[in-house]
Amino acid sequence: MTETAAPLLEIKGLTVALPDGADRDFAVEKIDYTLNPDEILCIVGESGSGKSVTAHAIMGLLPKPDLRIAAGGILYRGRNIVTMSDAEQRKLRGHRIAMIFPEPMTALTPLMRIGAQIEEALSIHTDIDRTARTARVVEMLAAVGLPNPEEIRKSYPFRLSGGQRQRVMIAMALALKPDILIADEPTTALDVTTQKQILDLIKEIQREQRMAVLFITHDFGVVAEIADRVAVMRHGRVVEIGAAAEVLNRPQHPYTRELIGSLPHGRADDGPKFVPEGDPLIAATDVHKVYRIAGTRVGGARTLVVSDHVHLTIHPGETVGLVGESGSGKSTLARTIVGLVKPDGGRVDFEGADLLSLDRDAFRPYRRHVQMVFQDPYASLNPRHKVGEIIAQGPVAFGMDKAEARARARDLLALVGLDASAADRYPHEFSGGQRQRVSIARALAMEPKLLIADEPVSALDASVQAQVLDLLAEIKAKLNLAMLFITHDLRIAAQICDTVGVMKLGKIVEIGPAAEVFGHPKDAYTKSLLEAIPGQGWTPPATRAGGS
Amino acid sequence: MFNRDFTEAFLRNKGAVVGLVIVAAILLLAAFADVIFPGDPWDMAGAPFTHPLDDGMLFGSDMLGRDIASGIAHGARVSLLIGLTSTVVAVAAGVLLGALAGFHGGRIDDAIMRFTELFQTIPNFVLVVVIVAIFTPSLFSIVVAIALVSWAPLARLVRGEFLALRSREFVQAAITCGQSNAAIIFRQILPNCLSPIIVSASLMVATAILLESSLSFLGLGDPNAMSWGFMVGSARTVLRQAWWMSFFPGVAILLTVLGLNLVGEGLNDAFNPRLRRKRKA
Repeated sequence: MTETAAPLLEIKGLTVALPDGADRDFAVEKIDYTLNPDEILCIVGESGSGKSVTAHAIMGLLPKPDLRIAAGGILYRGRNIVTMSDAEQRKLRGHRIAMIFPEPMTALTPLMRIGAQIEEALSIHTDIDRTARTARVVEMLAAVGLPNPEEIRKSYPFRLSGGQRQRVMIAMALALKPDILIADEPTTALDVTTQKQILDLIKEIQREQRMAVLFITHDFGVVAEIADRVAVMRHGRVVEIGAAAEVLNRPQHPYTRELIGSLPHGRADDGPKFVPEGDPLIAATDVHKVYRIAGTRVGGARTLVVSDHVHLTIHPGETVGLVGESGSGKSTLARTIVGLVKPDGGRVDFEGADLLSLDRDAFRPYRRHVQMVFQDPYASLNPRHKVGEIIAQGPVAFGMDKAEARARARDLLALVGLDASAADRYPHEFSGGQRQRVSIARALAMEPKLLIADEPVSALDASVQAQVLDLLAEIKAKLNLAMLFITHDLRIAAQICDTVGVMKLGKIVEIGPAAEVFGHPKDAYTKSLLEAIPGQGWTPPATRAGGS
Repeated sequence: MFNRDFTEAFLRNKGAVVGLVIVAAILLLAAFADVIFPGDPWDMAGAPFTHPLDDGMLFGSDMLGRDIASGIAHGARVSLLIGLTSTVVAVAAGVLLGALAGFHGGRIDDAIMRFTELFQTIPNFVLVVVIVAIFTPSLFSIVVAIALVSWAPLARLVRGEFLALRSREFVQAAITCGQSNAAIIFRQILPNCLSPIIVSASLMVATAILLESSLSFLGLGDPNAMSWGFMVGSARTVLRQAWWMSFFPGVAILLTVLGLNLVGEGLNDAFNPRLRRKRKA
């Protein structure tokens, strides 16, 4: 069905030059691909692979003068966009080719009503009158599945959630019935259930209007869900392109195989099941916490329940996963256990002592037993300190000799797979994955009994993600640590957790052995989460070397 | 912190080197004022209204026959002394109060910020004039007065930085590692807001020098010390007949302020490891 008509969009030998001093000469180099009418082409790649640069080149959004098109052409129905005048390009943009952006929270002008923002494109590119425009806006808002389109038309963006805003973006992009929709990571910032809705919507609209969609993503699950054809990009080049079923199930290029191999794969075997023995290491009982949002004169105070009488126990050597969507209170619970958040009530017992009843000084000795690995590798290391110092600080605070702590820091760097010379470098010299290793080394320096990992891999690329997860599993086994692992990605939770708790609105709605929760979910919410995981119809081929 | 990398990065910045040369020259001028221009700058050295380069006087003389060049050299002492000491006092107070407010938040923050606002609502110069007038003009009272009006904006700046940095994950990591509050404030957070502090401190030295000049201009300077502001102030009545009397002290003020700003900017760039690397690449 895809090869019948002439291609709508043809990228021919496109090369975009990076400014001097960047880590490579070209953002994308001599890339070729075509986009046919009535198909979804997915561009997959890790960060820095040049997948967005291509889309931005098509839309004329390259940041001038840093990035410029050095060679090649972008042909829309045979006409080269690169050599067009600005006026001609503007006619295409928004009208024939539309784009939706990765971050729905910032993609809408905050001070303009939703309706006015959608109408803008209509009034620029068409000559229909005001009432017709309004009618069209309402029609579009209804088409993207927004409730009360009339109401939403008159609202400002801040009233809408992320998923609703992304729907508005899609409505805006589709208002002029474009031939091509470019979707740049449109679901990355959304929760998994919202992601599913948006993916379904894009698929449905694509079928209805028979338009071409260029869908940029880093997630092979999403690819499996939506793509007709796939192009895999790496270091600014297209390494593999072909029909989705072909690329996903019989990847040719080693890099594609590596990417697919590094997907979280669930438990390979049903191997030794974890059986909790003896007393729990830590037991959170009846923890509750309510955030009070100070009211305005108009609004009045609001409360936000982030922890609603939660119970959680972790045994020595156990990995407990907490999954849930954003705002479900997973992080708050973790931060309560580690002592960063003071809850309104409840107990957190650690080896028999109630941590919450302790004052600051009495709590301090327990700090070293519970350590945390944070989400953002770029914010969790002090940029002004050398890596060795960062790792040594904790033990030094607990009275270890400085020289000894430094020597141990080097050992720990080796343990997390970094060279000992890393100790004398600053964090900015490391990549995200390496920084996360440093973060893990810092936590291990305290010789904790419980390691709390708060979305430790969500900021990392898939291949790096797999490495860090492997490292965590390896260290956990070696040191017999207990681990509380927080993630929004159920595939990751399935891979590394013994026990999984599903959180929703500050409550743990279901908790049990991972195989049980994922295999036979009892709670309706757990079921809906599992159903929303993209790419379920696809089982990645076992291509990963060594299967580790 | 002041290792070889830092020095290299600083010296690679041309503007910073120029600023450093200017500031160093003025420091030397101040230090060796007695050697270059022996004798009291208040004494008559030649005929009044001598043009520059006449009578062996580089910058001419003022309406009482005092050597302008000698006045500038000796005035550099007063200006730098007041500028630097008042800034040190103001930075110490501002950083400490701002850090406490920003780190602890809540009631401590409220209390410190209301106190800060008290100083911010009173016009700076009026407060300086009042304090100096009450305590009689002397180097000490001028330093105290200038420091008192200068610390408040810095405290706000530092508080803002602390508020933003306090919730950063590396600070939370330090808390979970059991580091003390003092260690977190001074070793984790403070180094990360040094750049804005240094930049505003270099500006504050400049402002302090300008404030002191304004005081002297109004005749509220230390009566025993020759100062640039006094020279400009006393020459203003004869500005059209004898431009050099106010021009050269004015240039001295300009160069000093410019030099300090260039140095501050250079320090800022050198302190920031990421910018440092960019320059190398």
